[in-house]
Amino acid sequence: MKLRLENIGHAFLGRTVIEGMNLAFAAGEIVALVGPSGCGKTTLMQIAAGLVVPLRGRVHRAYRRHAIVFQEPRLLPWLTARDNIAYGLACAGTPRRHRREIAAARAREVGLEADDLGKFPAELSGGMRQRAAVARALAVAPDVVFLDEPFSAVDVGLRRMMQDHLAQAAAREGFCALFVTHDLGEAARIADRLVVLSARRRGIVDLRAVPGRPGARDERFVFDLVAAWSREEAFAELLDGAGRLQ
Amino acid sequence: MPASMRSEARAAAWLGRYLWSAWAGATGLLCLAAAWQAAHELYGDFVLPDPLTTLMTLADLATEPGLGAAVKETGLRALTGFLLAAGIGTAAGTIAGYSFAALRLMKPVVTFILGVPPISWIVLALIWFGASGGSAVATVIVAALPISFAGALEGVATRDRGLDAMARAFGAGPLRRFRDVTLPHLLSYLFAAWTTAIGTAWKVAVMAELLGNSGGIGGALAKARALFDIPQVMALTVLVVLCALGSDHLVLQPLREAAERWRTAGQPWGVKR
Repeated sequence: MKLRLENIGHAFLGRTVIEGMNLAFAAGEIVALVGPSGCGKTTLMQIAAGLVVPLRGRVHRAYRRHAIVFQEPRLLPWLTARDNIAYGLACAGTPRRHRREIAAARAREVGLEADDLGKFPAELSGGMRQRAAVARALAVAPDVVFLDEPFSAVDVGLRRMMQDHLAQAAAREGFCALFVTHDLGEAARIADRLVVLSARRRGIVDLRAVPGRPGARDERFVFDLVAAWSREEAFAELLDGAGRLQ
Repeated sequence: MPASMRSEARAAAWLGRYLWSAWAGATGLLCLAAAWQAAHELYGDFVLPDPLTTLMTLADLATEPGLGAAVKETGLRALTGFLLAAGIGTAAGTIAGYSFAALRLMKPVVTFILGVPPISWIVLALIWFGASGGSAVATVIVAALPISFAGALEGVATRDRGLDAMARAFGAGPLRRFRDVTLPHLLSYLFAAWTTAIGTAWKVAVMAELLGNSGGIGGALAKARALFDIPQVMALTVLVVLCALGSDHLVLQPLREAAERWRTAGQPWGVKR
């Protein structure tokens, strides 16, 4: 197991968000963390990534390097796209020349042109910025990648392309990905495994494997799978908007 | 060497743009001069000499050996005061910006000090340091320090914590995070504060010299006032303004442009030039 969360519990200002959470992630698998807003999925990801120190429990890490793709691109506005993509490498102490080569290769993978590399984030479109953020995460050759609703603001076509790219990269490079999302279709497309969280019960409601190979499932299959899930009790809270207003 | 030629071409293009932007500034200043001329025609020579006479007086003054020395003296005082104030204020403000306790404690103090009129400081400095250059420098420090302190404090306090978390996630240490994440953001606050501070430095230095009769442009101004030489008063005023504008636009602004090329990249054309 690359990453193991043991009995994690956390609270913000006395309000408990997560309680007694146990999860383990193996190499090469993509785990989707789904749940309604406020169920603590982002908090759980931040705890796993070491950005938040949990009040209770322990995080066991058996890997060298991780990377994060946030909901927003979080590119440094004063660095060019190239230097932004190479930022993780710069932090790791990779020599300048070498990291420029890696950055260029990773940019190509996500469909950024050579011209775009010299531009500042302000000159790039929203989709290009998010692609640069993905390239930045994969550039460090991570063992674990954390993704916090990374494609919620990009258009449908680009979202599919990025999902497929991520699934292929995980299979090829063997990294484990923890994918936070509230989109069941996205989870059905690219996850090996699904972890369903609940806001009301403050914990895991359901754990299940998704049939088929991530990124290789066709549209019909994904559609039918989501339709089947939406009739199940485990997903009721996620799909029930009116119930949460009470 | 194509690489160096490209950088030279880029430098030339930048200089051209910078000089071109001066035209817009000149237009505003000429409008002001026109209003000045109109006021002169309304109120007469004694109350307000016209711009041309003022410039002629300034040109006459420039030929006298005393003026260069006076400008140098005042400039040295303003610059010493500014550098000390900017150095201490920026360092202290940056540290305070990282600590919530320091922020809460220092903010009212700075607001209080900013509220004290410079003239009170001048009187106090004259009592403490006597009518020498030292009191002018001290007054400049007291007047300019809170400005750069507040700028640095505000800059650090408003840093993007999301970017900070991103850098932390990629393993950046505190020093690297300060250099890569906080400093570029802080600089825009600092340059704004330093621009105000250097203008204040010139004004306050002249004021302190005038009241303490300790030479420099302020001393010349005191003499002109005693002689009721209004054109000379106007000429010296214009001179101080030119000095303050010069130190801002010839020193600070080019530095700012060089440090903030990323910011202009996303701006519309009309704001850029």
